[in-house]
Amino acid sequence: MAEKKYKKSDIKLAFWLILPAVVAIAITAFIPLFKTIIDSFFKFTLIPDFPREFVGINNYIDLFKDSRFVESFWNTMYFTVFTVFLEFIIGLVTAVILNASFKLRGIVRAAILIPWAVPTAISSQMWRWMYNDQAGIISNILYTLGWIEPGTPILGTPGYAMNAIVAVDVWKTTPFVALLLLAGLQLIPSELYEAARIDGASKWKQFTTITLPILKPTIAVTLIFRTLDALRVFDIVYIMTGGALGTETLSVYNRTILMDRIFSPRGWYGYGSAISVVIFLIIGVFSVIYIKTMKLKID
Amino acid sequence: MKKLLLFVTLLSFFISSFAVTITMTAGAVGKELELTNIQIQRFMEENPDINVQILPMPNSSTARHDLYVTYLASGTPDPVVLMLDVVWPAEFAPFLVDLKPDYDYFGFDGFLEGTIKSNVVDDKIVAAPWFTDAGFMYYRKDLLEKYGYDAPNTWNELYNIAKDISENEFIDGFVWQGAKYEGLTCDVMEFVHSFGGEIIDNGKVVVDNAENYDKTVAALKFMKKLIDDGVTPKGVTTYMEEEARRQFQNGNAVFMRNWPYAWPLANASDSPVKGKVGIVPVPMGDNGRHSATLGGWNLGINKNSSKAQIDAAKKLVKYLTAYDQQVERATYAGQNPTMKSAYSDAKIKEEAPFVVDLYDVFISAEPRPVTAVYSEVSDAIQRYTYGVLTGQYKAEDAVTRMAKELKQIVGN
Repeated sequence: MAEKKYKKSDIKLAFWLILPAVVAIAITAFIPLFKTIIDSFFKFTLIPDFPREFVGINNYIDLFKDSRFVESFWNTMYFTVFTVFLEFIIGLVTAVILNASFKLRGIVRAAILIPWAVPTAISSQMWRWMYNDQAGIISNILYTLGWIEPGTPILGTPGYAMNAIVAVDVWKTTPFVALLLLAGLQLIPSELYEAARIDGASKWKQFTTITLPILKPTIAVTLIFRTLDALRVFDIVYIMTGGALGTETLSVYNRTILMDRIFSPRGWYGYGSAISVVIFLIIGVFSVIYIKTMKLKID
Repeated sequence: MKKLLLFVTLLSFFISSFAVTITMTAGAVGKELELTNIQIQRFMEENPDINVQILPMPNSSTARHDLYVTYLASGTPDPVVLMLDVVWPAEFAPFLVDLKPDYDYFGFDGFLEGTIKSNVVDDKIVAAPWFTDAGFMYYRKDLLEKYGYDAPNTWNELYNIAKDISENEFIDGFVWQGAKYEGLTCDVMEFVHSFGGEIIDNGKVVVDNAENYDKTVAALKFMKKLIDDGVTPKGVTTYMEEEARRQFQNGNAVFMRNWPYAWPLANASDSPVKGKVGIVPVPMGDNGRHSATLGGWNLGINKNSSKAQIDAAKKLVKYLTAYDQQVERATYAGQNPTMKSAYSDAKIKEEAPFVVDLYDVFISAEPRPVTAVYSEVSDAIQRYTYGVLTGQYKAEDAVTRMAKELKQIVGN
């Protein structure tokens, strides 16, 4: 690609225009990140005058011996894989349907966004009541259908709890996925479909050879967004189960270490910082994998 | 007229320049906040040189904890007066003013022993008990009468009564707090103590002593048996205080373990069980004792505040924990006194007689372990007992593993 030549005065202006943003990002993102990384090599607590002991990479070594950390890692993976997969499939179908023209399309498009518009803390609380063993509508439907034994608390039974949480996230975030994909679909010129139809391509063929390839960059961005969000899931889990019964994710465990034990004389703050760094790295690795496999250009 | 106005304005400027402003965290809802506002208004009238600002706090104890953590860790002088849950003093002690030198000023001799004990950290008294709480057994008077039972004294009696009535009335037998959160620790403590067991005593892990081990295992097995035999609904593993209260207050349970806050609500005019509720101490196991876990809130003073603020804060804390204010709090907001003498007050006897009847429970309420690593201790207790309730661990294994982990945490 040919480099465009800019005027010197333009570059100068651009520098001053970008500077505030760079400073803001540095203060709010890079400095805390840098500080967290440094903290993760120490053993200390936030009590005044508490000695700060340098422990090198010991916090990271301990992480792998900590069965609770390992478990919360796999719980996070389970949550991420299932929510992102389900949200993507259901979201794609929804987007294709919403892209077709039908009566009241505008209203339907707006209406599906409601679950996404409700703050997560509120919808989690709402779902907690819907899963309640006595008054919960979902529990009662499942009891009546005979799918689960009456009286079984969905959020209090091993095996059910995590899937119940996955269901809430799918309910909440599928509209967002559908919206992103819909935006991508609308960029596809209708002439392409017309030409395909004239050439006698079936609907399915049109979908796989026109829609999907053109939608690929949008899909990539959507998956990145969702995966990164899912990997640091906190509020739904924290409110619905508090991390009980195999639902503890990395962020929930990290909160326990950083907040509940912040003044513990046993010195957990560095360890908690190490978990934060690992979450950061995991998210980084996922981003790179996506960008490489999707051959996404980031300009 | 104009001159007078000018004079008043100048005067108020003059006073306010000498006035010291202190901030105080407080509960943010209902009668509790209303009363705090009233009492603080009165306090400011009596002490025109002190200006008090209330910072209403979120309702959940955990959310309050997380807020305090950010305030204190950043070392700000505000809030000056902190409303502290009964299990926090040890953890927050490095940030709180020692009130022991002012022992007589606050009249700590007249307070319930347990409430003071829960604030003693390394021979310091880091907060003043404001109001107290204890676990109780609520029961349906009408149903027990109908089936010819007296209120239970032992767990076996409760089990049999609950089973009989719940099977005949098609309701739940006994609801309590079984979700994995701090409330479970409170309930577990009561079960274990009432079976004669002990988890941590005087800062030492004793749950693996032969005697305590058997009793603790028996207590956990009994909890699990309640669920397995249908006396307690399986859903209890998702119940906090409010889920249990709803169940009981809608007439769907014979017994409920809960805090005193449920009493006025169960007897409110819109309550289906109004006037049908009795309250007794938590039953005991074989060779055990009646036990109630101590709850409640204390007032601590931030060490980072200025000298003037700390002095003003001491005045405020003394005022709020004084006899008159405590009696008012008990009758107006249903929050129980920490001062012994308040329990024989005529006004309380008349307006909140059950508080007086249950004085024995309040006076013998047992604090949870006072240790700076409390949140880790509670977290371990919750994880292992919850594992038993949900069938992931056998009671024996859970207690063994819990003992091992607690020893690592406490360091002995």
